[in-house]
Amino acid sequence: MQHLRNIGQTGEVKRAGVDDVRARIEALWEAMEEEKRQDKKTLGERLEVRAV
Amino acid sequence: RNWDDEEDSDNEVDDTDDVDPEAEYAAWKLRELKRIKRDREAIEQREKELEEVERRKNLTEEERQ
Amino acid sequence: MANHRADEKRFLDERGSGGPLAPNGLNPATIMEKPVRERIIDSYFWKDQCFAVNEADIVDRVVTHVKFIGGTYGDAQRPSPFLCLAFKLLQLGPGDDILREYLEYGGEKFKYLRALACFYIRLTRQAKDVYLFLEPYLEDRRKLKQKKRMGTALTYMDQFVDDLLEKDRICATTLWKMPKREVLEDLEVLEARVSPLGDIEDLLESDPELVNENG
Repeated sequence: MQHLRNIGQTGEVKRAGVDDVRARIEALWEAMEEEKRQDKKTLGERLEVRAV
Repeated sequence: RNWDDEEDSDNEVDDTDDVDPEAEYAAWKLRELKRIKRDREAIEQREKELEEVERRKNLTEEERQ
Repeated sequence: MANHRADEKRFLDERGSGGPLAPNGLNPATIMEKPVRERIIDSYFWKDQCFAVNEADIVDRVVTHVKFIGGTYGDAQRPSPFLCLAFKLLQLGPGDDILREYLEYGGEKFKYLRALACFYIRLTRQAKDVYLFLEPYLEDRRKLKQKKRMGTALTYMDQFVDDLLEKDRICATTLWKMPKREVLEDLEVLEARVSPLGDIEDLLESDPELVNENG
């Protein structure tokens, strides 16, 4: 569990700065785009199979 | 995951953007115009009220009766 | 302060006393009404997804779980993930630099992140800043799902922002009474807003029916 790692034994969680927020936005966006590419690819593959 | 178990009713509403960009722009434009119109009318209304207050202030005692 | 408390206990203990106030002078722990706060911290979403969350994790939670805006819904008046995350923001108290990141860079990509930041700003910022932060998004026509007490409706970012500026109550939360824009203009705190459509007089001349359409 990520949150348990984050807080360690202190019951605290590290404050994030603007750079952390920016990095998280980019990571999430990239993951979503990658997922879309994968979806398209599988759709393309399916269509290819059908065309044969 | 019990926080999003009511998917059925959500599915009737589709929030996908850019399905028909021109229609979406036209609909926005109408909303924006209505807002402008509403704000304008509110300002006109306020000015009218201020004028009325001013008018009453300027009436003489006689005119008021 | 480099850290946040992972849970909400200290935040809620500060209700009456020494906790830091929001920029608009309100106590963030009491901005939402008590029954709503109680429903939030009792909810499974709060316990499972809002523990030990920081300003960056908020983005993750919004992208993964926020599929609609709303307050509480259904017979059980369950708090929406949107509302729970707004409450988390009240606890975290992010600064303007982070909010700008949510609104702009993040908000372009993830519309519900922008909507959440707008809601939070309306609850905590001074009137002038609320207008300055929110008004640019009267131009954002993206669709938003809005869950009401009964049923789900379609709204738009510009409509949601307008509601935040005009209405008294939204998403199960009473909005603090903000001075009207025109009052701030008279005080020269704000300059007149110019619509992205341009000058209203020109518009009226060129296309009066459009304005009168549907009353």
